[in-house]
Amino acid sequence: MPETDSTGLLRGLLASGAVAAMALAAPAIAGQKLGEPQSIRAPEVIYAKTCGYCHGRNVGPIILGRGLPAESVKYIVRHGQNGMPAFRPTEVKPEELEALAAWVEKSDARKGEHGQ
Amino acid sequence: MSDLNLDRRGLLGAGIIGAASFGLGTGASAKNPAPLAPHMTKADYAGAMKAFRGVVGAEWVFGDEEAVAPYAKVYVPDPMNRHVPIGAVCPESVEQVQELVRIANQYKQPLWPVSTGKNMGYGMTAPATPGQVVLDLKRMNRILEVDADLGTCLLEPGVTYQQLKDYLVENNIPLWIDVPTVGPIASPVGNTLDRGVGYTPYGEHFMFQCGMEVVLADGQVMRTGMGSIKGSTAWQAFKWGYGPYLDGLFTQSNFGVVTKMGLWLMPKPPVYKPFMIRHPNMEDTPKIIEAMRPLRVSNLVANCNLMMSASYQLAMFKRRNEIVPDGAPLDEVSLKKAAKANGLGMWNTYFALYGTEQTVGAIEPIIRASLTASGGEVLTAAEMGDNPWFHHHATLMEGGLNLDEIGLLRWRGAGGGLAWFAPVAAARGVEAERQTALAREIVEKWGFDYTAAYAIGWRDLHHILALLFDKSDAEQEKKADSCYRELVTRFGAQGWASYRTGVNSMDLVAQQYGAVNRDFNARIKHAVDPNGILAPGKSGII
Repeated sequence: MPETDSTGLLRGLLASGAVAAMALAAPAIAGQKLGEPQSIRAPEVIYAKTCGYCHGRNVGPIILGRGLPAESVKYIVRHGQNGMPAFRPTEVKPEELEALAAWVEKSDARKGEHGQ
Repeated sequence: MSDLNLDRRGLLGAGIIGAASFGLGTGASAKNPAPLAPHMTKADYAGAMKAFRGVVGAEWVFGDEEAVAPYAKVYVPDPMNRHVPIGAVCPESVEQVQELVRIANQYKQPLWPVSTGKNMGYGMTAPATPGQVVLDLKRMNRILEVDADLGTCLLEPGVTYQQLKDYLVENNIPLWIDVPTVGPIASPVGNTLDRGVGYTPYGEHFMFQCGMEVVLADGQVMRTGMGSIKGSTAWQAFKWGYGPYLDGLFTQSNFGVVTKMGLWLMPKPPVYKPFMIRHPNMEDTPKIIEAMRPLRVSNLVANCNLMMSASYQLAMFKRRNEIVPDGAPLDEVSLKKAAKANGLGMWNTYFALYGTEQTVGAIEPIIRASLTASGGEVLTAAEMGDNPWFHHHATLMEGGLNLDEIGLLRWRGAGGGLAWFAPVAAARGVEAERQTALAREIVEKWGFDYTAAYAIGWRDLHHILALLFDKSDAEQEKKADSCYRELVTRFGAQGWASYRTGVNSMDLVAQQYGAVNRDFNARIKHAVDPNGILAPGKSGII
């Protein structure tokens, strides 16, 4: 598409600093490819993109660095607890949950996290 | 209403009492096993589940109580345990959906399709009527196309907003997404099919939908709009196609299983500037609406505004007993004090400007003048800094992701109870004033709080009331159920029916739209799904 037309100008505007900022924010793991289902995710990724939106922020209790038993983590993920929703095997796959629960149990506390 | 309709309603809407219950492994407790659909035998159910396993594999069919548990978790009041699925089946392709639908017809096993099942205070994966197997589409989570020039995408139902955002970021595509409040775990397809809303200028989600692929109840695959034209490049570019516009038939309905959807994505603007307008008194309601309406109708303010009450805001990040003692009413003096301590007013209205330096610079003084005249303080990031409520809304209004609103579920006691009540009115101050008065009267009568907001649309108001209760308290859950029904009934009597509702009240809301509308929907349903296998009871359609 020629860069001289109005669309090109708009694209130029859009692609300025914002793109660089977004590239910096990209996670250091291979992402989902077009036309392919989401692959198995590492515990850190699941924590950052699901659990960590509530736990350790303004919403849920801190779960890292407390030595929470992996079996308890697995039960709570599948059943939910009080205000926490349940997560199905289609959302957090069985093998992902195994690794996540073990990772949470062994995790260190993170500075900057705060519970409610 | 036709005899057939009455018969189907009798069969599927009968509830637990009198329904066959075989305790075949359900999400319900052993004490209260979830019933099969009343027309089904144990052998029918077992046969259907066996055949489902043959299609998707045994590991993706769930029937025993423990395995179904994640599908049974709901926030909505359900004191009769009526909204409990009896199983789940999880396909990974369109072809598998077709096979499952054919099997469901053979055994007459109703299926309740969900995309990611995270509509929170509307029922999550729970079905509207007993005896349904959840058709869980989360494994179908391919991002099929993203066109950076046209600003379009084509998605499967299991894609989350997080997945789509990650794809755009990782591939340096300067397009935004538009999220509902639980974006990371919710589905763009599912939210659009429920006609949900977001907070950028693309916030009216169904308006920015373009093209669908649908598995019909007989197993055929239909594409809407330009999607059925061989060689067309406009499936995601031109909404209407030719002849009757079909896409709407598949929203808030049970006429097909949507397996692909096109959406338009907003180009990232060079300038994004979020605002908060702080008003000091509950009585300011009409002044705010009257000031905002011309800005919205003229599109000077292009995004859906959220006008948040202090109680709704505080409930996100605080517990009720931090503001008043347990058992005490949430009085206005205490509320005002807590609001002020957290940088909030009694009403907090959020919107943003999007454009270039020149356009934003030209519009801002007009808006400031109008909203200052309404008695509000006009605030931006310069004044609000890292205030968590401002941060929350500023994130949403640029298509950012958070789950802050799950904090609402912790407002009372052990929490876990939420039902959204969402009546619609025209965007007029007097209507909002009357709605607030009526809502407060009803919720306070039942011992609950007016934790509410108004979403100010282009010309409409969605009054969004979060009915928050402690789901671990059986008496409170019963009261929440009664309170919700009174809200629906009394608002409906004033002409304010809901635009969307949870599985706990779909039939009740459908009644308010009248017998002719219901019968028309039923006639379509009976024509396209004669065995009633797709989501009976969705939007009150049987």
